[in-house]
Amino acid sequence: MALLEARNLHKTFRLGRTNTVHALRGVDVTIEAGEMVAIMGPSGSGKSTLMHVLGLLHEPDRGTTPAPVLAINGSDVLRQSDRARTQIRARELGFVFQSYNLVPTLSAVENVALAATYAGRGGRAGRNAALDSLELVGLADRAAHRPNQLSGGEQQRVAIARALVNEPRLVLGDEPTGNLDSARTAEVLGLLRRFNRERGQSLLIVTHDPEVGAACDRIISMRDGLVLDAGLLRAA
Amino acid sequence: MMLARNLARRKLRTALTIIGITVGIWALVVFGALASKIDLLVSGAHDYFGNKVVVSSAAGGGGMFPLSSALVARAQVVDGVDVAYGEINTMVDHDAKQVGLPDEIVGLVAGSDRGRDTFPYRFAAGRPLGASDAATRNVVLGADLARKNGAAIGGTIRLRGVEFAIVGILEPTLTLPDSQAFLPMAAAQDLYVIDLPEDVAKSIVPSDTITHIVVYPTAGTDVEALSARLEAALPSVTTLTASEFDETIGATANLLSAIIVGVGLISLIVGGLSVVNTMAMSVNERTREIGIKRAIGGSRRRIVAELVAESGLIGLLGGLFGLGLGVLAVTLGNDAGRESGTALFTLTATTAISSVIFATVLGMAAGILPATHAARLDPVQALRHE
Repeated sequence: MALLEARNLHKTFRLGRTNTVHALRGVDVTIEAGEMVAIMGPSGSGKSTLMHVLGLLHEPDRGTTPAPVLAINGSDVLRQSDRARTQIRARELGFVFQSYNLVPTLSAVENVALAATYAGRGGRAGRNAALDSLELVGLADRAAHRPNQLSGGEQQRVAIARALVNEPRLVLGDEPTGNLDSARTAEVLGLLRRFNRERGQSLLIVTHDPEVGAACDRIISMRDGLVLDAGLLRAA
Repeated sequence: MMLARNLARRKLRTALTIIGITVGIWALVVFGALASKIDLLVSGAHDYFGNKVVVSSAAGGGGMFPLSSALVARAQVVDGVDVAYGEINTMVDHDAKQVGLPDEIVGLVAGSDRGRDTFPYRFAAGRPLGASDAATRNVVLGADLARKNGAAIGGTIRLRGVEFAIVGILEPTLTLPDSQAFLPMAAAQDLYVIDLPEDVAKSIVPSDTITHIVVYPTAGTDVEALSARLEAALPSVTTLTASEFDETIGATANLLSAIIVGVGLISLIVGGLSVVNTMAMSVNERTREIGIKRAIGGSRRRIVAELVAESGLIGLLGGLFGLGLGVLAVTLGNDAGRESGTALFTLTATTAISSVIFATVLGMAAGILPATHAARLDPVQALRHE
């Protein structure tokens, strides 16, 4: 059974009374456990929208035929309530964003611990898990720093520590190296690759950067809201 | 901890909002204490009244018109009357303008109530008036009156220009006796006549004059029926009972209390709206942060709880500061008023505790709307918010 299986995803945005954007036009995606997959495509191809839908941040359109399916570990999340999907985001998924998205008032360790709290590990247990996770990304000595006291690369490593703290099945990255120079990009990419190799961590990364794509097991290419190539030949 | 840090992010705005609540709670505490004092005076007066019926001249004048003491004997034989006795009751100074109860002269023959007056008079110093004081110019002073005049046992006090020797000082009762001077009947009659209009004064004999007849009913007598019988039996008199007192004075006092507390509540509603405003701005500024929290698995309920706790903390702090300032104002006000013999405020524990709880609940309630809005934000759009 695939870790993630999506069938016939459509997503339409209504920008005005007459202006609608058809961002996804029937996308099928399968991710196997332990895979590291890139989604690539030009701007407006729907890759970010796809990641938001796969990350349960947006719902796909309903009422298309055949009906959309989005199964994580075999269970169809589209049939579940918002609260249940929020719990899946907390426990089964991790997010790494282009602009880091750390809470500015919280220290590095508090940012990571917040995710642990949401997954049901509050207090000391959450804090210890957060410290362990920061240790993994090499930032144990920066635990008490606020985001504005950290460099971009360091902030992104905190975000990776946050994404990993609950040992999720799948980490989703939305241009995770988009704001970093090539040295920091290599550093972050190396970290992600390491977790994928050593821990079998599944990763799905939206990127413009061919270097990031090259580091992945396969590349899903998108254009105009459709998957052009699921990259399965290269993977095989 | 995290809550306090969020509040500290916009120090000035948070401080102003807390001040808004502080002012509201301050007003509620101070006005509430004023209302409690009024309630206490009214209920104290009700207890002081007991089950007696007070008869006075139907000519009006607030019971300041003279009655003939011959009426006492006629009242005594009315059906259901246990004890009836005459009393002089008049203001010390008719022109006095003072907040609270006016200073009064009360003259009666010692022991004339035959033990029926059960109001608990306690003596701070000295002794009550007795039969041996009948022909003297001795006086027992209520607590406020004594304090206002710096009176002490063995000293003297001038009432309507006449000097009296102080033999007793009462402890505070929080009602009428506090501002009363108790005189022997004869001395009170002499003082009473001084201020009467000349033509009235000429037509009466001072030693035969009273202003009120106090009537105690026999056990089981219906007080209202008795008061009707007294009005029928005695010429041109009017009666007042505890329940009539409640209807007139009590109703007015309740209205006054309601207005006073209403003013406090209005200022709190304004404070509450400023909490809504602050939290709405705070939510707007933190849209992105809320998006982050939703994305990494923070539930809607948790987002709401966090923001409501934050606005509740604003309310709690405002409530505590307001209570502190209110206690200060009430204490200073009462200290200042004590010199003139009037403590204006009674701050009860209920008022104090409930105002802080109220402020906290108000703060939380004010946070619900912005918090619910925040929790309903689309996480992706919230993340793109700058």
